[in-house]
Amino acid sequence: MAENRLLDVVDVHQSYGEERVLEGISFEMDRQDVKVLVGPSGSGKSTMLRCINRLTDIDEGEIALDGESIYDMNQNDLRRQVGMVFQDFNLFAHLTALENVTLGLKRVRDMSEPDAVEKAARQLESVGLREQANSYPAELSGGQKQRVGIARALAMDPKLMLFDEPTSALDPELIGEVLEVMRDLAEEGMTMLVVTHEMGFARQAATDVLFLEDGELVEQGPPDQLFEAPEQDRTRDFLGRLTSLHGDQ
Amino acid sequence: MDSVFLSAQPLGDWEFVWQQRQFFVEGTRIAVELTFYSIVLGFILGLPAGVVEAYGGPYSKGVVRPVGVAIRGTPILVIIAITYFAFGVSPAFLAATLALGVRSAAYQSQIFRGAIESVEGGQMEAARAVGLSKLDAIRHVVLPQALRRSVPGFQNEFTIVLKDTSIAYAIGVAELLKRSYDLFSLQTSAALEVFLAASLIYFVLTFSVNRGIEVLNDRVAIPGGNY
Ligand SMILES: Nc1ncnc2c1ncn2[C@@H]1O[C@H](COP(=O)(O)OP(=O)(O)OP(=O)(O)O)[C@@H](O)[C@H]1O
Ligand SMILES: [Mg+2]
Repeated sequence: MAENRLLDVVDVHQSYGEERVLEGISFEMDRQDVKVLVGPSGSGKSTMLRCINRLTDIDEGEIALDGESIYDMNQNDLRRQVGMVFQDFNLFAHLTALENVTLGLKRVRDMSEPDAVEKAARQLESVGLREQANSYPAELSGGQKQRVGIARALAMDPKLMLFDEPTSALDPELIGEVLEVMRDLAEEGMTMLVVTHEMGFARQAATDVLFLEDGELVEQGPPDQLFEAPEQDRTRDFLGRLTSLHGDQ
Repeated sequence: MDSVFLSAQPLGDWEFVWQQRQFFVEGTRIAVELTFYSIVLGFILGLPAGVVEAYGGPYSKGVVRPVGVAIRGTPILVIIAITYFAFGVSPAFLAATLALGVRSAAYQSQIFRGAIESVEGGQMEAARAVGLSKLDAIRHVVLPQALRRSVPGFQNEFTIVLKDTSIAYAIGVAELLKRSYDLFSLQTSAALEVFLAASLIYFVLTFSVNRGIEVLNDRVAIPGGNY
């Protein structure tokens, strides 16, 4: 296995009861890759992400992180190594921004209170929220909430970050601040798998774009190739519509 | 234990109530203690029961649920009678506390279950995604929010338990109602005055605790509200 390989997704099938959602998905990610997953609503994008940190179990196939099957790993340990950012933030509503970040440090990484606070404060600062450390989620704007969500995931020092439509719940004027944090993160070399409709972000930051439809990967490749010269008509149609809706940011 | 003080001359009915005020105070103290211990016992048993009902597997739920349904479906007088006469728990105060406490647990479990289920599923999911175990997620993320949301439910629960302490008179606990009966039998002309005094005391207690719970509810509210 290549030194640089971080994630292998091999022929993954997943269903909710009778409903088959993923029907044989395969792709891989090297360290520092930024892959953007696009596809119509209901195509299985969220499900794909949730399979990677085992919020959802797969029926068939294999997923490996750093060469080790995620089903051979301790579940909480896997999740520590895979950060997740949610569309509707899911910040812990009863905790301040700082406490949102320290909870995992204390309970999962067994850090002492002072160490956790120090690390969390630095993490919040890195997403531009030093001033908001003691604010509660309800006191933050959507963009600030999402940046706390990113800081909360980053604080665990994950190897891989999963983003599930991180800007879809935001007012248009707040999208930029979140994308900026994500672009910085990509530049620093974080490995990221991002579900988003923000095609500007895909063009600028993605190493590859993956187009998912009806539980199958229709096409994947570097953004230039997929946007300019897709092999499949379905890809061209979908990306064309997406770009006209969510132009370049 | 104090006893009714008998006066030589016949008294007016309100005078009689006033003269026996110490007797009422003592009954009030017992009613309040009964309520307090029953609510505490109900909390200790009801919280885990609520957690099991919200998160338990088929087996644990399969035990907790029917037990709760059975207790809630049984008249409190029957529960007290079973505790005292059938199980022979004594003294009567302890039997009454156990009966009221277990019954309260059955109701509190529903307050907690409802509050837990009202916490958005994304909270648990986000906690799990960070790597918290299910138990840690319940303890540190779901319960702190659920407990806050269950505070208003205690207005009802407290009122019900306080009023139902009066049923402990059936096994001879000298709480407020029992004492009212005793006084009434001493001076039957004072029936209205005696029982009015008792209900006034119940009302004042209920009212102040309900106010207290409102204050508590504001105190524990999450700043900025629940987003
Ligand atoms: N917990 C669940 N139980 C049952 N079915 C589910 C569940 N979650 C998702 N599904 C179904 O699985 C399919 C794929 O859903 P998924 O959320 O992965 O799609 P998506 O590509 O993320 O869509 P969107 O763009 O709307 O977020 C949908 O048909 C959805 O209804
Ligand atoms: Mg989705």
